[in-house]
Amino acid sequence: MSRPANKRTVDMQILADWVEPGSRVLDLGCGRGVLLENLVQSKNVYAVGVDLDFDKISACVRRGLNAYQGDMLRLMGTFPEHHFDHVILSRTLEEVGHPADVIEQALRVARRVTVGFVNHGFWRNRLDVLLRGRKPRNAVYTTEWFESRPGNPVSIADFEHFCAAKGIVIARRAHLGGDWKTPCKVAPNLLAGYALYDLTR
Amino acid sequence: MNDADDDILATTHAAPGEVGLVEPRDWVTTEPFTFVNGQTIGGFTLRYETYGRPNAAKDNAILVCHALSGDHHCAGIHSLNDRKPGWWNNLIGPGKALDTNKYFVLCANVIGGCQGSSGPSSFNPATGKPFGITFPVVTIRDMVRAQKIWLDALGIPSLYAVIGGSMGGMQALQWAIEFPGYARRIIAMATTWRESAQAIAFNEVGRQAIMQDPDWKHGDYAAGAGPRVGLAIARMMAHITYLSDASMDRKFGRRQVAERLKAPPAATKPAPAQADCHLISDKPAAAAGGAATFDVQFEVESYLRYQGKSFINRFDANSYLYITRAIDQFDLGHAHGSLEQAFRSVESDTLVVGFTSDWLFPPEQNRSIVEALLRAGKPASYAELTTDLGHDSFLLESPQLYDLVRGFLARPCRVAVKSS
Repeated sequence: MSRPANKRTVDMQILADWVEPGSRVLDLGCGRGVLLENLVQSKNVYAVGVDLDFDKISACVRRGLNAYQGDMLRLMGTFPEHHFDHVILSRTLEEVGHPADVIEQALRVARRVTVGFVNHGFWRNRLDVLLRGRKPRNAVYTTEWFESRPGNPVSIADFEHFCAAKGIVIARRAHLGGDWKTPCKVAPNLLAGYALYDLTR
Repeated sequence: MNDADDDILATTHAAPGEVGLVEPRDWVTTEPFTFVNGQTIGGFTLRYETYGRPNAAKDNAILVCHALSGDHHCAGIHSLNDRKPGWWNNLIGPGKALDTNKYFVLCANVIGGCQGSSGPSSFNPATGKPFGITFPVVTIRDMVRAQKIWLDALGIPSLYAVIGGSMGGMQALQWAIEFPGYARRIIAMATTWRESAQAIAFNEVGRQAIMQDPDWKHGDYAAGAGPRVGLAIARMMAHITYLSDASMDRKFGRRQVAERLKAPPAATKPAPAQADCHLISDKPAAAAGGAATFDVQFEVESYLRYQGKSFINRFDANSYLYITRAIDQFDLGHAHGSLEQAFRSVESDTLVVGFTSDWLFPPEQNRSIVEALLRAGKPASYAELTTDLGHDSFLLESPQLYDLVRGFLARPCRVAVKSS
C-alpha cells in the first residue's frame, strides 16, 4: 500500500488539528507509527499504537512509541471507560472484522474517535466497476484482487448511515477531493476521495 | 493502515563479533543480608561476568538476568576448549543487539543459585557445613535486592536497561517495581507477572522427584553427592516444558537411536551405580527383552537423558528447590493488590516480548503485563514473535528479535511518566 508520502500530509494534518495537545491517544492499526510519531512531536501526546504485525510494532518501538501487538478489541476491553482522550482509526476501519464493535468500544475507551477512510463511493471507483466491471485499481487501491487483503470498503454515505443508525454524534467531518488535499464541499460521496470524521457519543 | 516506506534502519550494522574469552569474578560482602521473609545471612557472594566497558558517565550498564537453570555466564567462552559459549551469546557482543562496543553488560548468578553465588550449597560458617535447606527462603525480590547491593558496590549509579527471559523477565519486572527509575529500560521476554497453576505444577513434580530421592536426605547431603536421579528427572521433565510439540517433532520425530550406537552385551556392563546407569544413561541398552524394552529407544529419550545427566553435574538439587519455589511465589498482583497497583511506581520504559509457541509462559501472560502498564499510564510496548520453539524461543537466533531489542535500546529514553 505504499503511496507517495505527500498524499498523506493533509489528512494527517487534519487529524493532528483535531487532537488536543498533551492528550492520550490510542491509534488502532498504527502501522509503522508515522502518524503517531508526528502527533507525539507536534502535540506532545501520550501515544499507544496497536497493530498485528511484528515488524510494524518493531518500527513503532524504534520510533519511540508505545506499541502493542495484538487484537484491538481485546486491548480496548482491558481499559476503563474514557481512559484515552482520542482513539484514531486511520485507514483501519476498512480492514477490521467487526467495524461496529470496534467503534462502540472506541467510544467507550475515549471521548472522541477519529476515523479516516478512503471513500469507496468516489466517482473513479464507481467508473471502474461500472465501465470496466473490475475491482478499482488506482493510486489508492494498488493491488489486484488476487493479491489484496480481505477488505470491507466503505463510502461516505455508508458511514453516515451507520452513525445515524447507531446514534453516534458526528462532531466534525472533513472531506477531501481525489487528490486527498483539496477540501470537497459538494456531493462528497461522489467527489471526495478521502473522509475524516470525529465521533462522539 | 499507516504504511510508509520511509522507515529504513538508519544504520547498517557491522558484522557482529564475539566477546571472546571471559572470566567470572566473585563479589563478596560481609554485610548481613536480610531476606524478604526476615531471615538473615552474614554476608553473601555473587559470581558475575561483565562484557564491554563502562563509559565515563557510567550510564551504559545493561544488566542481564538469567533463568532458572541459567547462570552468570551469558556470553563468550571461558577457555578455547569450551564446546559452547555463554547462554545468550547470540544477543551479546560487539555489534550484536546488546552491543558491547556501546554497553557495559553485566550478569550475576542469582542469590540462592549454585554457580558461585551464595545459596544452599554454600558453606555455612556457623555449622561448618553447607547450608542445605537451612538457607533462607529466596524470592525474586531477594535476587533483585542482592544484585542492587552488588551494583551499588561496583559504583553503577543507574542501569541503561535490565533484560531477561523467563525467570530473568520476572527479575526485570521486579527491578522496575523495587527500584523505580534505577533501570531506565526493562526488557522482559517469555515471562509472566504471576506463576500459573500449570507452571507451579511442573515445578512441584520436579521438586518431588528430588525430595523423594533417598539421596536427598532432607537437603543434608555432602558436596558432590545428593539426589542425582531425582534432579535428573526434574530436569528432564522441565526441559519438555521449554520446548514444543512442533520443535520436538522436527528435532527428534520418532527417530530411533541408531543401532550402531548399541553397547556390547549387557553381561559386560558394570554392575554398580545401577540406578544412575538406568535412569541417566543416554546410551541404548544392548540386551533385548526384559528391562531393556524400556531403555532408550527414541532419540528424544536419549536427548532428555543427556539433558538430565549433564544437569546433575552442574546444578545443585537444593538450589533447584529454592529457585523453583521463588518462581512459584512470584505474583506481582497479589504482592501489591493488583498488577496496576504494582506498576504505579514504575519509572522505566518497558518492552515485553511473548512467543506464540510458549506454553509455559504463554503470550497471554506476557501481553497482560503491558496492558496493566498501559492502564497505569506507563510507557510500555508488547511484541509477539511467531516461533514454534516453545518457551526457549527467547534464546532463538532471530534477526527480527535482535532488531526489536536494538531499536528499543537505541531510542531516546522516555521516562516522562504520566500517571492516570
